[in-house]
Amino acid sequence: MRPADTRRWLLHGSIAVTYAVILAPVVMVMVISVFRQEIVSFPPAGFTLEWYVNAWARQEFARGFATSFQVALLATLIGVPLGTAAALALQRSRIRGKAALNTLLLGPLAVPGVVAGTALYMFYLRAEFWIDRDITATLQGLVAAHVLLTIPWTVRLVSASLAGLDVSAEEAAANLGARPLTVFRRVTLPMMRPGIVAAALFSFIQSFENLELTLLLVGPGRTTLPVAMLSYLEFRVDPTLAAVATVQILLVAVLMLVTDRFVKLSRVV
Amino acid sequence: MAALVLPAGLLVVLLLVAPMLLLFRISLNRFSPTELMVEATTAQNYLQAVQDPYYQQVLLTTLGIALGCTLVTLVMGFPAAYWLARMESRWKSLATIVTLFPLLVGNVVRAAGWMALLGNEGAINAALIGLGLISAPLPLLYNTGSVVVGIVAVVLPYMILTLAAVIEGIPRQTEEAAANLGGRPMTVFRRVLLPLALPGVMAGCVLVFILCMNTYASAVLLGGPQFKMMAPAVYDQFVRGNNWPFGAALAFILLTVTLVLTVLGSALIGRKYRR
Repeated sequence: MRPADTRRWLLHGSIAVTYAVILAPVVMVMVISVFRQEIVSFPPAGFTLEWYVNAWARQEFARGFATSFQVALLATLIGVPLGTAAALALQRSRIRGKAALNTLLLGPLAVPGVVAGTALYMFYLRAEFWIDRDITATLQGLVAAHVLLTIPWTVRLVSASLAGLDVSAEEAAANLGARPLTVFRRVTLPMMRPGIVAAALFSFIQSFENLELTLLLVGPGRTTLPVAMLSYLEFRVDPTLAAVATVQILLVAVLMLVTDRFVKLSRVV
Repeated sequence: MAALVLPAGLLVVLLLVAPMLLLFRISLNRFSPTELMVEATTAQNYLQAVQDPYYQQVLLTTLGIALGCTLVTLVMGFPAAYWLARMESRWKSLATIVTLFPLLVGNVVRAAGWMALLGNEGAINAALIGLGLISAPLPLLYNTGSVVVGIVAVVLPYMILTLAAVIEGIPRQTEEAAANLGGRPMTVFRRVLLPLALPGVMAGCVLVFILCMNTYASAVLLGGPQFKMMAPAVYDQFVRGNNWPFGAALAFILLTVTLVLTVLGSALIGRKYRR
C-alpha cells in the first residue's frame, strides 16, 4: 500500500471508531429492549415487545414519563418566550452592559448541574420556611428549575439567528410606514423563526433528559423519568429499563426529525 | 425594548445567582450532629475538605479523569470533525443529526447502554466467550476504564460539533496551497490546519473539560460503589451525610478548581500560539 492509502485508511478507521463509541450505547439499549429473557445475556433467547407493556405498568416509569413531559412542556412554554425577548433586547437595543447581561443569561450553562441543583435545593428549603408552602417535589418547583435550563439555549440560538439578519429589512418596513408592532410581527418574527423553533426543541429535550439539576428537587411520588431510571439502574440493567430508554430515544428522534423539516438543524448548531 | 431583557435576567438572578450566594453562605456555617447547621463564619469546611486524604483523592481522580478524557476526546474528535466539516454531499445534514442525536438522548440512557455492553453477561464478554477467546468474563465494568469510555462517548459530540464549526470557516485553499508548496500531510496539519483551528480546539477542550469535571451519571453507574468523583461526593453530603456546610464547601471547591484550570489553560495555549 502507498503511504497515502495507509493514511486514508487510518483516518477513516479512526472516524469509524469515534462514531462507534458515540452510537454503540444508544443502539445497544434499543437492541436489548426486545430481548425475551429478563436477565440480559447474549445471544438472546428470542424477541418480544412485552417489556414495553411491563415498563408502562410500572408506576415509577409511567408517572416519571408524565412528570418529565409536563415539566419539559411548561418550562419550554415559559422559558422560550422569556429567552427570545432577552435575545431581542440584546441584539436590537442600545443597552449598556450587554456582555455582562449575556454572561448572566448563559450562566445556567456554565454552573455545573449538581452545584446549581444543591444551591437551588437549599434556596427552596429556605423559601418554604418563609412562605410556608412546599416547593421541593412540586410541579412548580421543578418547572421553575427547568426554565433555568431553557433560557441559555434560547438566548444563544435566537441571538445567533438575529445576529445573521440585516437590520435594514426592518428599517425599510418602518420607512414604508409600518408601525413598530407590524414590523415585529411581519418582518422580525418570521426572520427569527428558525432560531425559536430550534430553541424550543433544545429546551424541551434539555429539560426532559436533565438529571443533575433535578436530583435533589424530586421527592417520593414526584420523580422525573431520568431520576427514576437512575435509581433503577443502580441495581441492574434489564429489558424493562431498556424499553423505557428506547421510548425516550424514539421521542428525541421524532422531535429532531420533525424540527429538521422546519429548520435545518445542521445550520443552527 | 431594552426592558425585554428584564424577565429572563431577573429569573436567572432569582433562581441561580441568589441560590449560589446562599450556598456560599452555607459553606461558611458550622455543622453540628444534633442541630445540623449552626450559623458561623468559618473556613473550617474548606480546610477540612482540602486536608482530608479521602477528598484529596476524590479531587485528584476527578482531575485525572477530566484531563485524560479531554485529551482522548480531542484526539478522537478531530478527524471526525474534519470529515464532517469538509463533507459537501447531501449527507452532511444527516451526518450532523447523527452526531447531535446521541447528545440529546441523555446520559442515563447511554450509561445503560454501556452497562449492557460491558457487563459480565454483556455483549462484549458474550462475544469473546462465544469466539472461544476467553473462558471467564473480563471485568470490563465498574472500573476507571468503563468510566472513561462512558464519559468520552458523552462528550465527543460536543467536541466534534465545536471543532467542525471552526474547521468549516478555514478555506480549503489554505491547505491546498500548503500542500502544493510541498508540505507533507502531517506538516500541513501541524503548521496550517491546527494553528487555524486553535480557537475551536480551545473552545472544545474548555467545554469538554467542564463537562468531565461535573460528571455524575457516568461515574455513579459505570464506576461502581468504590469509584468516587466530585459531583457524586457533593450530592452524597446533601442526601446521605446531611452535612450541608461541608457539601456546600465541596461544591465551591469543584467550581473554583474547574474555573481556575479552564482560565489558566486557555491563557497558556493562547500565549503559546499568539505571535
